[in-house]
Amino acid sequence: MRRLLLVLANDVRRHLKAPMAILIFMVIPLGMTGLIGVIFAPQTEGSELPPISVLLVDNDKGLASKLLVGAFDVDQMKEMFQVTVTDEADGRKRMGRGKASAMVVIPEGFTLDLLDAKPVTLLVVKNPSEQFLPDVVEEFMNTMAVMLSGVVQAFAEEVRGIRAMLDRPVESFPWDKLGPEFGKAQKKVVAARTYLDPLILRLKAEETKAAGARTSFTQADLFSAVLPGMAVMFLLFIVQTLMRDIISEREDGKLRRMLTTPLRPIELIGARIAGGWVMGIAVLLVMVAAGTLIFRATWGPLGGFLLLGAVASFWAAAFFALLHALVRNRNQSGAFSAPIILAFSLFGGSMMNLEAMPKAFRTVGILTPNRWFIDGAALLRDGRFPFVPILILAGSGILLLALAVPALRRRTSV
Amino acid sequence: MLEIRNLTKSYGDILALDRFSLDLGKGEVLGLLGPNGAGKTTLISILAGTLADFSGTVTFQGRNLFADRALKNRLGIVPQDMAFYDELSAMDNLLFWGGLYDVPRAELKRRAAELLERVELAGRAKEPVKKFSGGMKRRLNTAIGLLHHPDLLLLDEPTVGIDVQAKVSILDIIRNAGASGTAVIFTTHQLAEVETTCSRIAIMDHGRILAQGTLDELVRIVGERDIVEITGEFAAGPFSEALQDIAGDGIELLSVADNLASLAVAATEQIPRIMDRLFRRKLAVTDLKIKSPNLETVFLKLTGRSLRD
Repeated sequence: MRRLLLVLANDVRRHLKAPMAILIFMVIPLGMTGLIGVIFAPQTEGSELPPISVLLVDNDKGLASKLLVGAFDVDQMKEMFQVTVTDEADGRKRMGRGKASAMVVIPEGFTLDLLDAKPVTLLVVKNPSEQFLPDVVEEFMNTMAVMLSGVVQAFAEEVRGIRAMLDRPVESFPWDKLGPEFGKAQKKVVAARTYLDPLILRLKAEETKAAGARTSFTQADLFSAVLPGMAVMFLLFIVQTLMRDIISEREDGKLRRMLTTPLRPIELIGARIAGGWVMGIAVLLVMVAAGTLIFRATWGPLGGFLLLGAVASFWAAAFFALLHALVRNRNQSGAFSAPIILAFSLFGGSMMNLEAMPKAFRTVGILTPNRWFIDGAALLRDGRFPFVPILILAGSGILLLALAVPALRRRTSV
Repeated sequence: MLEIRNLTKSYGDILALDRFSLDLGKGEVLGLLGPNGAGKTTLISILAGTLADFSGTVTFQGRNLFADRALKNRLGIVPQDMAFYDELSAMDNLLFWGGLYDVPRAELKRRAAELLERVELAGRAKEPVKKFSGGMKRRLNTAIGLLHHPDLLLLDEPTVGIDVQAKVSILDIIRNAGASGTAVIFTTHQLAEVETTCSRIAIMDHGRILAQGTLDELVRIVGERDIVEITGEFAAGPFSEALQDIAGDGIELLSVADNLASLAVAATEQIPRIMDRLFRRKLAVTDLKIKSPNLETVFLKLTGRSLRD
């Protein structure tokens, strides 16, 4: 055990004396996270989405279409949508130039068809170059369509009365009958109130005002989401660099010299794996500190994150111990390690959001440490303990270790 | 102290050690001479415990060297490779490698400082080794093997590729180790090194010891004869044929290669006879040297080839 600790301490000292490789692998993820934050995060904290530009073509100009157009003019909607009323030809031209997120076309005869309870179609033209803003418009129009359909069906009798009046010329419009029709509708509303009032379900919007909490998605939130993925990717690179000693010492004669001393092969293997593990944890700690100071990233409970980092680092040490027991030389180590880490990072969600990946990729991702580390970090940020990710990383790490130790013994013994 | 009996090791069809046997006493410095592929490094590797699958026995201080792990504490190895950490200082390297043996820390520090003085690296003890010259690295490599005061020191070509100053320093260390009671085996290509450093010399080839003894004892193998070295434009075959009928008559062909041959002659009067035979065969001689017998001629006689072959 004394010799194991001696080798371990020597490894740590060596890497601290020549820290360039480790520093590079720590700076790159922080740099990449910063870059992602600058590119993708909102520029000011707490800022909302920009107004969605909508082109509105009203070919009907009737009562219902006015109601629909008016819906965009309600206070909250006004903040969300920037509506430009235009004709269809101009609208299509603008859409072709990508000047709006979506164009809503209300067809001719929309009001009358609606009142006649005939099927009507609202056309929503979406801008394909935008990711989700056109979908917001589509959803809004869907909601409006449901509401209008509901109103027409609930007030079918009154609608029929009003519809009959609309067929007459304006000069003979029976204004005196309009009042009673609205009266009947009002009675219905009042009668319905007895069932609806008091409302069982009320909607209340409330903003959290906990200390330091922000209700909108901020740059710090983005950093907090991105940094764990980057951290685990470069943790793998760092541990791989450390574990490469297994190969390089075999090639340059240090391993042979060690084996001439009373040091046992199992002590050497233990020191190598423990060294990769300990250094991995240390590097993660530095990244947590740097991420917190530079990006104000949040990690959830530090103890939980440390435990997650410890099992991830253990997994990495065991995996690369096995890999370096199988490869023959430094060239093979480099040739295999980098693609494996990049594949882990791609499928595991370090390079792109898991939600944005095809299902097959997400399925492959469960085989990577990146996926479980990122999941665990997300759970911690949500205030939950990442029991499953920790269990999976620790369990698979033990399995890898069980395979690595005999393979390494064969390689390090005479 | 060290008894090697019938040590045999093969690499496939190649027999690297062929029933190799050797005895070595306390404080004895044995120079192991042999051409490339003679089996020197194989022998050192087996004794160091880094090579397996061999037959034979090695007894060290009365115990089986390979069965008793504690004996590793009594063994010092200086490998051919510069096996230490370039990024660490000389002192850190000594403390690490010495720490792998059962030497108390305070004693280790004292010993490391003392060795750095001896290999003339004390002034640069704290510098990273990567800044050292090749010679300085060789000296450090040697010092690492001596840290724990081994009873048996094995050095595999410790003077390869270094300057004269470093070589002198390393040979001094080897002599001092022997003088302090450490048994030493060191392999080399350099005849002059063993002549000046070793109390005993063993010449080996094809995995066996061909002859061993002190320098004087070995030189006597050639006998009280002069060595004639002939250089010219000739092939080995015709040269041997030309001297065939006078060989044995006070003339012995020690070695012959294209353009160079060595002969031992009982008297220099034999030289005209040799030249006559060569001229008759129209073999051109461009140079002829007469030497006293030395280790090189012994080596040539025993192995039939030069040490650099």
